[in-house]
Amino acid sequence: MKALLVLFALLPLGVAYYTLDNAIDPIKMLYNTTGIGAVTLLLLSLVPSTCKRICHINTLPYRKTIGLLSFMYALLHVSVFVVLDSEFDFVTIFEKSLKKPFIYVGAIAFIIVLLMALTSFKKLFAKFSKYHKAVYIALLLALLHSFWAQKVAGVFEYGIIFVGAILLGERVWMWQKNHKIV
Amino acid sequence: MHMTPEALFNARRHFLKLGAGALVSSTAISQLLAELPKDLSLTYIPDPNPQKLTLNTLEQASNYVNFYEFSTDKEAPVKLSQKMKTSPWNVGFFGEIKTEQMLEVDDLIAKFGLEERIYRFRCVEGWSMVVPWIGFPLYKLLDYLEPNSKAKYVKFTTRHDPSMFPDQAKGIFASIKHPYVEGLRMDEARHPLTFIAVGMYGKRLLPQNGAPIRLVVPWKYGFKSIKSLDLIECVESEPLNTWQEQNPKEYGFYANVNPAVDHPRWTQAKERLLGKLTKQATLPFNGYEKEVAGLYAGMDLRKFF
Repeated sequence: MKALLVLFALLPLGVAYYTLDNAIDPIKMLYNTTGIGAVTLLLLSLVPSTCKRICHINTLPYRKTIGLLSFMYALLHVSVFVVLDSEFDFVTIFEKSLKKPFIYVGAIAFIIVLLMALTSFKKLFAKFSKYHKAVYIALLLALLHSFWAQKVAGVFEYGIIFVGAILLGERVWMWQKNHKIV
Repeated sequence: MHMTPEALFNARRHFLKLGAGALVSSTAISQLLAELPKDLSLTYIPDPNPQKLTLNTLEQASNYVNFYEFSTDKEAPVKLSQKMKTSPWNVGFFGEIKTEQMLEVDDLIAKFGLEERIYRFRCVEGWSMVVPWIGFPLYKLLDYLEPNSKAKYVKFTTRHDPSMFPDQAKGIFASIKHPYVEGLRMDEARHPLTFIAVGMYGKRLLPQNGAPIRLVVPWKYGFKSIKSLDLIECVESEPLNTWQEQNPKEYGFYANVNPAVDHPRWTQAKERLLGKLTKQATLPFNGYEKEVAGLYAGMDLRKFF
């Protein structure tokens, strides 16, 4: 089942690989595929716990896999930025690009997801799992980054913000409810 | 192998249809005659391409467009625009000119003749292409219209027709404010590089590329090159162009291509030439510095971006 999930999640990368030769704006296409992949999977990684609370279906064992897949897409996305878009020009990256909110917002989200990925295995997870709440910051930053990626935001950008608002809203609502009882 | 040229093939099909129509009724014939497409290929003076620019393909230039009247997507306008009725198409000429008037695109072609211009085209989003446009320089049109002494700017407006442009029918949910407006200072408008295009790659403009008539200003970011023109007005004060109104921190009136002045969200130093996986340097004024830098002598290009 997990293998199926991974295969399904990797499908867009296969498509990107085969359409790269004929892509009109190949760098942008790779940005889109990897960026949409990363943010969509990040949203999906919040679904298992929501699902458990609301529909009482336990999909928690898939959460880590989804999260790691999101990290892999984000890593590819950053690679497109460093390798293809900036062509390893680290002077420009540090002195120009990273000073722009659009870029550093995305970079901070990536660093959070990177740290979560590194601490997602048994020993470290026991120690660091409480810090994994930082995923909410990463998600908010990733949504903002997506929103800024287009000249004007379209259906996809508003769509993921809507889904994100529902997933985060449900958590806030549950938290309030639990604290009222106490 | 024997192949029928496209135009001849279409003509033959229409002739056959006409023959069949004759058997039915004369109204059917007149209907078919009205639908008969104009020959899409154009006669023009070719550009000798002294800079030896390598053209992008028509396939690239016509399948990757920003045409928000249809969609914010780059490819969606291709399908969405195919039903667009681009003939007859009258353009209105108003404002500070000798005689206000409307002219059909074919009349404009007959008046000013056609030439080819192979230009670099640089989008503010960071991609670029090289396109062979067909049309006439704007100064020829302005000479004909005879702007008066009050005419300091030229204002351009895209057609407003929600039945043709779906985004214009969306009201407050439209992606940008409609109709799209652009402007040029009179000296920019009269510059010999400033061009009115009715075609590209030897044929009439495709709907998704701004048919039937559009502006092309090669040293400015692509959003200045307004599509599907409805109005050209000579005016006294600087028009508020759509993108400046939409986001004045990010887009100005001048929008000259400038690798030294970044967009607030991304650098403009390099560009992605369509079809390429590697980037190339963006040139000041998009490679037309020698021709146009004089227009901006003494101006702070960081302030007037």
